Amino acid sequence: MNLAFKDACHAPARFALTSFGVAFLLTAVIGMVGLYRGVVEDALLIIERIDADLWVVQGERAGPFAEASAVAADVDRRVAGVPGVADVRRFSQFSQQFDFAGRMRRATVTGVDVPADDGRWLTLIAGRWLGAGRYEAVADAVTGLRIGDRVTLARDVYEIVGLTRGMVDSAGDGLLFVVINDATVIAQRRTSEEIHLARAAHGSSGAASADTSSVAQDSKIAAVLVRLDPAADHARVRAAIARWGDVAVLSTAEQRDLMLNARLWKLRLQILAFTLLILLITALVVSLIVYTMTIEKLHQIALLKLIGARERVVAGMIGQQAALIGFGGFLAAIGVSRLIFPLFPRRVVLLPSDLALLALLLAVICAVAAFVGIARASRVQAREVLS
Amino acid sequence: MSGAPVLSARGLTRHYASGAGVVRALDGVSFDIAAGELVGIFGPSGSGKSTFLMLAGLLERPSAGEVWLGGQRVSHAGVHLDGLRATRRRRIGFVFQRANLIPFLSAIENVALSLEIADVAPPDARHHARRLLEALDLAHRADSLPARLSGGEQQRVAVARALANGPPLILADEPTAALDSARSRQVMQLFRRIATTRGTAVAVVTHDPRSVDLFDRIVEFEDGRIKK
Ligand SMILES: Nc1ncnc2c1ncn2[C@@H]1O[C@H](COP(=O)(O)OP(=O)(O)O)[C@@H](O)[C@H]1O
Ligand SMILES: [Mg+2]
Repeated sequence: MNLAFKDACHAPARFALTSFGVAFLLTAVIGMVGLYRGVVEDALLIIERIDADLWVVQGERAGPFAEASAVAADVDRRVAGVPGVADVRRFSQFSQQFDFAGRMRRATVTGVDVPADDGRWLTLIAGRWLGAGRYEAVADAVTGLRIGDRVTLARDVYEIVGLTRGMVDSAGDGLLFVVINDATVIAQRRTSEEIHLARAAHGSSGAASADTSSVAQDSKIAAVLVRLDPAADHARVRAAIARWGDVAVLSTAEQRDLMLNARLWKLRLQILAFTLLILLITALVVSLIVYTMTIEKLHQIALLKLIGARERVVAGMIGQQAALIGFGGFLAAIGVSRLIFPLFPRRVVLLPSDLALLALLLAVICAVAAFVGIARASRVQAREVLS
Repeated sequence: MSGAPVLSARGLTRHYASGAGVVRALDGVSFDIAAGELVGIFGPSGSGKSTFLMLAGLLERPSAGEVWLGGQRVSHAGVHLDGLRATRRRRIGFVFQRANLIPFLSAIENVALSLEIADVAPPDARHHARRLLEALDLAHRADSLPARLSGGEQQRVAVARALANGPPLILADEPTAALDSARSRQVMQLFRRIATTRGTAVAVVTHDPRSVDLFDRIVEFEDGRIKK
């Protein structure tokens, strides 16, 4: 007969509560790790998905994610002329707030070079990719927009023609894809007063409008994405472009590195620190629970010894109880995680490898706690039954 | 079966160091119990009866003297008690004032546990435990938890547990102290029956003069010695 199991069944509510206590701690650990994974995955989403070999950005800058970047309007044509370059796409990205259905929303406007960019690196869950025409947008579902919705951005009305899922920037804001020229217009939105002032300053009476710059404006193109011919020599193409001086060239790997180790460094460190903290708390609580369960049973343990039970009967009871709590808690934690994390505002990613590692850690924690309990139990003497 | 007594205590002595000096809890006690014999141990409180059972039951190491079981020396002043667990498991059954049942196991499981730790297969252990409970008129309580049993029923389950592995020796320390007189009598009669029908040597410490008629022999303790 399994003593650990019998004991658990004898007080099922207590056992369930204990397991749930452990489960919620583990859920917090899973959540922290998942948040970390989610932040990293979200941040790298565009960089990894957009399928570029090289990013041409503003000179002496590490744009467009780690630093602001603006390249001249003709950079894409210049890059296209470099031998070894298969194709180029212009790219821009900036945060935008807008009013929709009476509420202020946030989105990260992402300018894509249609038709050079056919959007095949994105999976649409509804609708279609951007056409060549203007004033269309593809939105991510987290923006709350739906197909057919019309939103006003910089005085123009955009119609949502397609939806993606899970496309967000490093802050978790949903992406709103528009053609690059529209993005430029949105980025240059100015109040009419600004325009008047600008005209006055230039002394022009001219036909400056809101979307053709009348002040000295940086280009709103943040980067030019380059795909290389399969046979092209990366280093040579890079060197050729970098020689112009007004631009910097970054590889996808460098972008990834900048994102993780420059832009997100403190956030990552913080989340990891919290994860370690909560792991430590979990370790302490679980060991305490297992140890307390042992202490509560000292009388029964003495009795087992009195009737001549071998040490492994006692050790088995303690060890199995620890395993039962750990296993029950872990399963419940996974169940709770699956249930509640999808409701969280940011993505919580449950990687099987992380869960396996956590299970392993938990097993070690339980084993250590059980070991301490067993060591205590081994000091119990049979005659203590009588005290 | 050899002619050796089941239990033979030889000059058993136990001293405890206390603040004021040395307490001679047991002071050179020698006596034998034969198979099938029911011995009553009487004596005033503090006379060393419990100490004697602890030494005879291999729960405590003697300061001097020896414990022989079935003609074999098992305990002496230098013995390592933890190594005597197997001997306890096979050769000695204990019953105390409190039943000390495991609260999360039913009556039958409490009895079967004794068998399982002696390597009896679980189905056989359960079967045998049920037979024992039947023999002790507890068949109807077999699946009850200890908390649902009366004191007398708990004590009979404890007796069944002590009997489970068929030990040649049963040691009982005031097993009826917590029971009313009718139930006390029942439990004492049970020991009588066990000694007679199973040939078990039974030593019972008791204060109850009403059960005197059941004993084959009475030993009286006084100040750690057997009163002549
Ligand atoms: N562990 C111990 N430490 C010190 N003194 C003890 C201990 N156990 C028993 N004694 C003493 O030994 C004497 C005999 O005790 P015990 O065998 O319990 O007597 P009885 O069971 O006959 O009442 C008593 O004076 C008691 O105080
Ligand atoms: Mg006593």
